Amino acid sequence: MNTPHKVPVTILTGFLGSGKTTLLNRILSEEHGKRIAVIENEFGEVGIDQALVIDADEEIFEMSNGCICCTVRGDLIRVLGNLMKRRDKFDYVLVETTGLADPGPVAQTFFMDDEIRAEFSLDGIVTLVDAAHIEQQLGRSDESTEQIAFADILVLNKTDLVNGEALDGLEARLRDMNRMARVVRSEQANVSVDTVLNLDAFDLDQVLERRPTFLEPEYPFEWTGVYSLDMGRYELSLADGPDPAMSLVVVSGQGTDDAALREGAEWCVRRYAEPAELIHPGEEIPVGKHVNLRLDSIGRKSFFLEVDTQGQVGLYAQHTAEEFDLQLTNVDGATIRQEVERIWVAQHEHDDEVGSIAIERDGDVDPTRLNAWLTILLGERGVDIFRMKGFISLAGESRRFVFQGVHMLFDGQPEREWGDEPRRNQLVFIGRNLDEQSMRQGFEACLI
Amino acid sequence: MSDLNVVSSKGVLRRGWSAAVGDYAIAGGWTLRGEALVVSDAAGGIYAFDGKSGASAWARQRGHDGGVLAMAIHPSGTAFATAGQDGRVLIWGVAEGQVKQAIDVGSDWVENVAWSPDGQWLAASCSRQVRAYGADGGEVWRSDDHPSTVSAIAWSSAGELATACYGRVTFFDASTGELRQKLEWMGSLVSMVLSPDGDIVACGSQDNSVHFWRRSTERDSEMTGYPAKPSALAFDDSSTLLATSGGEIATVWSFHGDGPEGTRPGSLKFHVEPVSTLAFAPGTLRLASGGRDGVVALWSLRKNGSGGAIGAATVADTVAELYWRPDGKALAALDAQGGVTVWRIGRTKGRIPRVREPQRQN
Repeated sequence: MNTPHKVPVTILTGFLGSGKTTLLNRILSEEHGKRIAVIENEFGEVGIDQALVIDADEEIFEMSNGCICCTVRGDLIRVLGNLMKRRDKFDYVLVETTGLADPGPVAQTFFMDDEIRAEFSLDGIVTLVDAAHIEQQLGRSDESTEQIAFADILVLNKTDLVNGEALDGLEARLRDMNRMARVVRSEQANVSVDTVLNLDAFDLDQVLERRPTFLEPEYPFEWTGVYSLDMGRYELSLADGPDPAMSLVVVSGQGTDDAALREGAEWCVRRYAEPAELIHPGEEIPVGKHVNLRLDSIGRKSFFLEVDTQGQVGLYAQHTAEEFDLQLTNVDGATIRQEVERIWVAQHEHDDEVGSIAIERDGDVDPTRLNAWLTILLGERGVDIFRMKGFISLAGESRRFVFQGVHMLFDGQPEREWGDEPRRNQLVFIGRNLDEQSMRQGFEACLI
Repeated sequence: MSDLNVVSSKGVLRRGWSAAVGDYAIAGGWTLRGEALVVSDAAGGIYAFDGKSGASAWARQRGHDGGVLAMAIHPSGTAFATAGQDGRVLIWGVAEGQVKQAIDVGSDWVENVAWSPDGQWLAASCSRQVRAYGADGGEVWRSDDHPSTVSAIAWSSAGELATACYGRVTFFDASTGELRQKLEWMGSLVSMVLSPDGDIVACGSQDNSVHFWRRSTERDSEMTGYPAKPSALAFDDSSTLLATSGGEIATVWSFHGDGPEGTRPGSLKFHVEPVSTLAFAPGTLRLASGGRDGVVALWSLRKNGSGGAIGAATVADTVAELYWRPDGKALAALDAQGGVTVWRIGRTKGRIPRVREPQRQN
């Protein structure tokens, strides 16, 4: 009858010792004026006046049909079912799971139980990661892998106990497993409350805003800089960096808007596929060719670039400019700032079984074919698909169709009007041993 | 509450009185042979109203810290018990509204409370345990931990208590707590009802089914295909009809003859949102249903479970509970906004007036 605003719920997961209770206390003690209810499965030292803390034993309810997607958390249904009756409803609910909890049933509870679904919305899953111990945990348990795969926010905690290089490696590994999540670093779970609450994490637009490249295909280069250059000779110099060589393609007539950059990137992918010409320091870099700059000598190394006509030049480099302190100077020795800079998602090895697949395609989708594809995909691979979300341009529908899901549970509805926006599709799947190629082909077959 | 939206009751439901409590009206019951209606709410308040006029008899704003979760009227009609999030059970006198006994059950929520039919025992469940108390509030026995939180309790007779939890129904001897029977089935049992003859135990399950056992033969059956979980169940006094929620349609299974296995259930269509509560009128095949749509419908049923609506009315919000006055001549509805609404049941001489199904609003 009345459709009150749904109460947002944040799920807090992470192994024992990762800092969940510290983060929880931080959230509760901050002045936010919200009435928060906390459901705890582990006895923590939480005791803040403005929050109601309810201890509940984790109760996992499997169904007689044996379907893992139907597995829900009975304790949450019970406690939330009672909480929602109060007239002075809570503004927010936090669920703190045990360190060994499988996040699947927790998330599924908000899809599977119609009464819970009517009153609460899953705002986000925040997983705390103990930077010093996660590597061992990932090797030992499925739970920690799944907690990372399910996350909207990964708080890489206790970063003070690990050196910078190891942290970068760890962050890269986490991103590989879950490209959808935002990674936040902290020392003692000291992240701002805004980063973990009210995420609207299931809204893909927000994810894209934070990390515009996360849906993109991977490129053989990491960085592009576009420079406005007059006719003449320029010096490209690089300091010592992580590799003894670096691939590069120089593109003339490079535009600076997004479409031009993508176009340039696609063109460069084909150049990168060609064998590279080896260029030594002091030599000239040919335009429009795949070159490999030799960087194995000590100190700054200079290469030269001859510009025939005034205009914009794009450098598509294997590494970022920062890594080698890449500088472009004119004959007078003045450093030239790039007009725009762009970071691309670089190709790399995927080690973990758990990974993300992102599909982005323009155009409209046939609803019948999409339905058939998803039914088969979720039926056959639903167990291995942890999370999915995205939006679809359905033929004949004037609004964006937004969806999200957990395992086989798929939930979608039309959202805002497309209007003048180009109609396109973005889908992200996070799961175990997903076959990227067949999923891409499957989706492409749904396009009209 | 002044904005109770009781409009255009139709058929045999005749507008009686309405009143309000402080928050979501959780539970209640008729006492003193229908002379009073007591109601408790989600904020922990307990209220008593005059059964005929609806005038407030007394109100206790702070019965249970955190809110009331369950309530049970003593068979004598002169006392009742409430259970709450504060881990306590309180036994109240109806007339004066005073707590006669306060029982500290545990630190967890006390979610179920029930008097034995002879009024000798009071059972209460807290987390995974059920405990039995004497009428004086003294503990008689407590069970071992169930495999999960006890979701429902009911007395199968004056001498036996039943509990439901994830995976099983358990029967305990009332005086000793000795385990008498265990019926197992892998599923989360969210509701339970026992047939008045004591043979059938039916449970609604989280996986949108109803599972029932015949204790005499230990035969069990499963009724599937519900669009939602059947959290409301009701048996009529003759143990013939089992009414079940689990969607917008109330489904009625008939145990008449060889049923309900292999038979078609009665399908009661009136609600436009899921049915939230069901109650048979004492000694009849007349069923009241309440829904999340705020509709109360009254049904006249046949032995095969089929039937039609003979009355309908609306209240302000989700119908939380329905209680028939012991004489079956009045019906009380509690709703999610704290509304308490009572209808008298009109006479139905000759042809029963049928109430037509409303148009679905989209």
